[in-house]
Amino acid sequence: MRVKLGALLAAATFLVVSAPPAPARPPVVLKVAIVQQIDSLNPFLAVFQSSTEVGRLMYDPLTAYTAADQAVTEGLAHRWESSPDKLTWTFTVPDGKKWSDGVPITAHDVAFTYNLMLTDEVARTANGSFVANFASVTAPDDRTVVIRTKTPQVTMLALDVPIVPRHVWEKVGSVKDHANDTMPVVGSGPFVLTEHVAGQFIKLHANKTYWRGAPKVDELHFVYFQNSDAAVQALAKGEVDLVNRMAPAQFDSLQGKPGVTRNKAQGRRFTELVINPGAQTRTGVPIGDGHPALRDVRVRRALAQAIDLDALVQRVNLGYAEKGAGLVPPVFGKWHWRPDTSAQRPFDPAAAGAALDAAGFPRGADGTRFALRLIGRAGRAYDEQASEYLKRSMSDVGIALDVRLVSDNQLNEITTAATYDLAFSGWSANIDPDFILGLHTCAQRPGADGKGGTTDTYFCDETYDRLYARQLSEFDEDKRVEIVKQMQARFHDQVPAVVLAYDNALEGYRSDRFTRFTTQPAQGGVIMAQNGVWGYYGAEPAEHVAQAQGSRWIGLAIGGAVAVVLALAVVLVTRRRRATAEERE
Amino acid sequence: MRLLGRAGGAALSLLMVAVLGFFLFRVVPGDPVVSMTRGRPTTPETQAALRAQFGLDLPLHEQFFRYFTSLLRGDLGTSFTFRRPVAEVVLERLGPTLLLVGTSTVIAVALGLWLGVLAAWRRGSAFDRVTTGVSLTLWAVPTFWLGMLLMMVTGDFFPSRGMRDTDTAPDFLSQALDVGHHLVLPSITLVAVVCAEYALVMRSSLLEELHAPYLTTARAKGLRDDLVRRRHAVPNAVLPAITLVFLRFGLVVSGAITTETVFSWPGLGLLFYDALTGPDYFLLQGLLVVTAGAVVVMNLLADVLHGVLDPRVKVV
Amino acid sequence: MSSKFLTHRTGVAGAAVLAVAAVVAVVAPLLIDPGSLDVTRVTAAAWQAPDARHWLGTDHTGRSVALLLAQGAGTSLFVGLTAAVLAVGIGTAVGVVSGHFGGLPAGVLLRVTDFFLVLPALVLAIALSTVLPRGLGTIILAIGLTSWPSTARMVRAQTLTIEARPFVERARALGGGHAHVIARHVLPSVVPLVLVNATLAVASAIVAESTLAFLGLGDPARISWGAMLHQAQLHGAVPQGAWWFLLPPGLAIVAVVLAFTLVGRALEAVVTPKR
Repeated sequence: MRVKLGALLAAATFLVVSAPPAPARPPVVLKVAIVQQIDSLNPFLAVFQSSTEVGRLMYDPLTAYTAADQAVTEGLAHRWESSPDKLTWTFTVPDGKKWSDGVPITAHDVAFTYNLMLTDEVARTANGSFVANFASVTAPDDRTVVIRTKTPQVTMLALDVPIVPRHVWEKVGSVKDHANDTMPVVGSGPFVLTEHVAGQFIKLHANKTYWRGAPKVDELHFVYFQNSDAAVQALAKGEVDLVNRMAPAQFDSLQGKPGVTRNKAQGRRFTELVINPGAQTRTGVPIGDGHPALRDVRVRRALAQAIDLDALVQRVNLGYAEKGAGLVPPVFGKWHWRPDTSAQRPFDPAAAGAALDAAGFPRGADGTRFALRLIGRAGRAYDEQASEYLKRSMSDVGIALDVRLVSDNQLNEITTAATYDLAFSGWSANIDPDFILGLHTCAQRPGADGKGGTTDTYFCDETYDRLYARQLSEFDEDKRVEIVKQMQARFHDQVPAVVLAYDNALEGYRSDRFTRFTTQPAQGGVIMAQNGVWGYYGAEPAEHVAQAQGSRWIGLAIGGAVAVVLALAVVLVTRRRRATAEERE
Repeated sequence: MRLLGRAGGAALSLLMVAVLGFFLFRVVPGDPVVSMTRGRPTTPETQAALRAQFGLDLPLHEQFFRYFTSLLRGDLGTSFTFRRPVAEVVLERLGPTLLLVGTSTVIAVALGLWLGVLAAWRRGSAFDRVTTGVSLTLWAVPTFWLGMLLMMVTGDFFPSRGMRDTDTAPDFLSQALDVGHHLVLPSITLVAVVCAEYALVMRSSLLEELHAPYLTTARAKGLRDDLVRRRHAVPNAVLPAITLVFLRFGLVVSGAITTETVFSWPGLGLLFYDALTGPDYFLLQGLLVVTAGAVVVMNLLADVLHGVLDPRVKVV
Repeated sequence: MSSKFLTHRTGVAGAAVLAVAAVVAVVAPLLIDPGSLDVTRVTAAAWQAPDARHWLGTDHTGRSVALLLAQGAGTSLFVGLTAAVLAVGIGTAVGVVSGHFGGLPAGVLLRVTDFFLVLPALVLAIALSTVLPRGLGTIILAIGLTSWPSTARMVRAQTLTIEARPFVERARALGGGHAHVIARHVLPSVVPLVLVNATLAVASAIVAESTLAFLGLGDPARISWGAMLHQAQLHGAVPQGAWWFLLPPGLAIVAVVLAFTLVGRALEAVVTPKR
């Protein structure tokens, strides 16, 4: 017995004094905090933002966007052209690009991927909308991909679809059951997935044969955090190197922290207040029970005028946002629209009140005109706070707001059934504005059975739809930009939703370990959640990577000391027991 | 006979858990498919396909029949989020939870019973008052708050999340040390809360035993107090206490959910929390069935153990 | 009985704490200007450490933590009390019925009680609050529906004991119906026990409320101590080092829960005859 205890003691002491053997040249590791789980590593199924980000690191798309100005650039294909009728697109995959296992990347891989999506509905789960208009995809030779579309499609250079290696995926029996976790996972991106431990972390290694050149870091680790609070703490302690999606208060808490640099970037995300304009199905049958007053565009405009957007940005976003205007966030430069002085709708409760009077909704005896329901998501900090402001703003113009913060699931149900008057919503826009504009067309409304709707606002406006169709087949980019701006102006004028703010993306990184990250766009851009993977790919380690591990060893020593004390206590107790036993005999 | 009855009761409980799991999470409003594809461009066709894939387009009784027959085969359905069998996802997360719950339970049982015995034996002493007071206080402490507090107080000494670092050397010793380092705060949190309950239970159990006449006899024989306690009173009082440890397994489960949430410990509790935010109904349903099932089995074990250990309970 | 209770010093201390909490809960909403808790109207800076003006500092929106704490007392106590009443009510009804009637209904009730007794209450409460609409009623229901079985077991045992007593036999022989026996004999004898149980149930209900609120399942429109801790975590109190937003709500919960426990234990000692 005593021998065993001695061994235990020795082991405990050993644990305390011995550090794990250090490898000769430690690899440069970039550790990134993510607060969202990885839903699937299968790029055809993954829909979470975290997973698509990892997917982009693993698989290059056909065409990519530059970091500097978000222009279309080389992906797997380096040349592309379209036929005069814009129905046939020919992409050229150059010689020399290789999968991470050394097999050359060919046009057949591209054709295989798209055809898999065209033939297998499960493979369309995540990115099906990109191929919905495809008629056929063929690869006449190793270098050429020919895509024929049913109607001219302007977004052919914005196909955000990971291209998978045919020689791996043709052996996959069922896409639905394929976890894609045979490590290392063969890919074409700058990093190769090497390990995934559910709920803990994901490890990727640099793809040394990447066609743009090997990344400057050796390993990229995504570490899972249950909440951004813990992630921010970990950044402050140096446990991770890069954190995004911080709340404003968390971002502020990092100010002046040694070794930490903050990046306040223009984000892709905007927050909006959706106004039920009298929801209908695609066939024009009214659904839901939106307040009838909101069908009057004058009332909707008055509501918009009664909201102090500047105050919302200052008090709810703590200044980390830009005042809302058009549907496309300002980060997308030329596509973004702001009202000129004539279209502007400055905050003016008096004018809003007068407009409501004129629309036939005078104040009642208690000063109230009518009551509206405002739906938000419980647990989303923005909704919880902004609803308080809106409640006050609306009561100032004589509208009583009944705020209902509900679970995600109930929010979905309420918006699907259109049983709301006002609701918070928000979207992340893509570089190509088609997706964000398409959310508001008549065709997006639900079918006769009330299902299958993907509309955001139940907006259905002939002018808007006509413009939408025009921009979709306008291949002159300057002209298309003009149409897209007209659409946003129309949207702003008809107010099916008020764009409240363009949220800043708040990021922070260990500048004592990494000197530079490539942002997209170059000025005021983001490191993570790009339309691409430049942030990780362009990460440059500092000359002397600081080893901020001192405190960690103190903790380990404390743990070891506790173990030693416990062992000693056990020894003492057993000895005492023995003594008592002897005494008795 | 008694055991058979108990086993039958447990089987019935399991059946009720299964039925409850289904109705709780299927008869809810909302369309899970909409949550599944949130924020992404989708087509109505894709939504319909997903609905069919998960069997959500079937009438409720058919869904129930499917659910139940697959449950009998050990199939807990497919997670909305992970697009993989729930059983597989759960199994993957079992290890970390077993490590945390196992370590904490062993420490809590040992410490709690020991404190309880000492407190009962020195009833009314300063030690008893302090132990009881501390236990009652700890019992009143919300687990998650204790965890947050520990995290704030210990600062940089212990990692704030997870089970291991990603850049620890791969050899066994480094890995074990790293996991141990991460384990300190979560297990202290869990031990503190659970141990308090055990100490209180053990104390009152022993106090009841101390009234038994045989102890007076033992003392009259001139045995030292220490021996009376160890040889006679404690063994008899430990039995009900141990049984209670098993009976209160649900308490540990609840503690594990909040502890894992606070410390991002990658076990079943964290999975539960993550499933809530989806909400991933099939996963929640599977987790409910699995945890409740585990508790039912634990209770059955407690019964069996009680019968085996305590000669006063007849197992016929 | 009251004089006996007074001999339990810890119980008296607990009762004193509860009295203070109750006064705060009742008075706070009357005295606090709603504007000072309205995030749209507060003027103080966010995350201010305690000073003379803000005794417990300010939260992430600049609201005074001290005022939030006072305002939250009402919600936490209300949820604790109503959930406990619900739980003990169900428990008593089930216990008396299954103890008094016997036979198949009792068997079924007993089975159901056992079932709920073994289920991890928090897991079930979480499940219920996920599928029901967010709100105070849901929380009360979720806690109440999951914490009644222990009361039921205890009340049943007591009912069985009472019904075996000669005077109940006599009452029955004299033609006393079920209602008579239950109302005149069983209920009066279980009341002290139920009271003790209810006190302890409030304690665990308050902890349960804080846990649900912490997990984000609380009523978002109301301030409670658990909701404050949820906010503290959501908005980064720990990395901010904002101990003044983390400590007070937790300490308040511990104090009140401990007080209920102490009162409950003192009551238990009073109503349980010494062996």
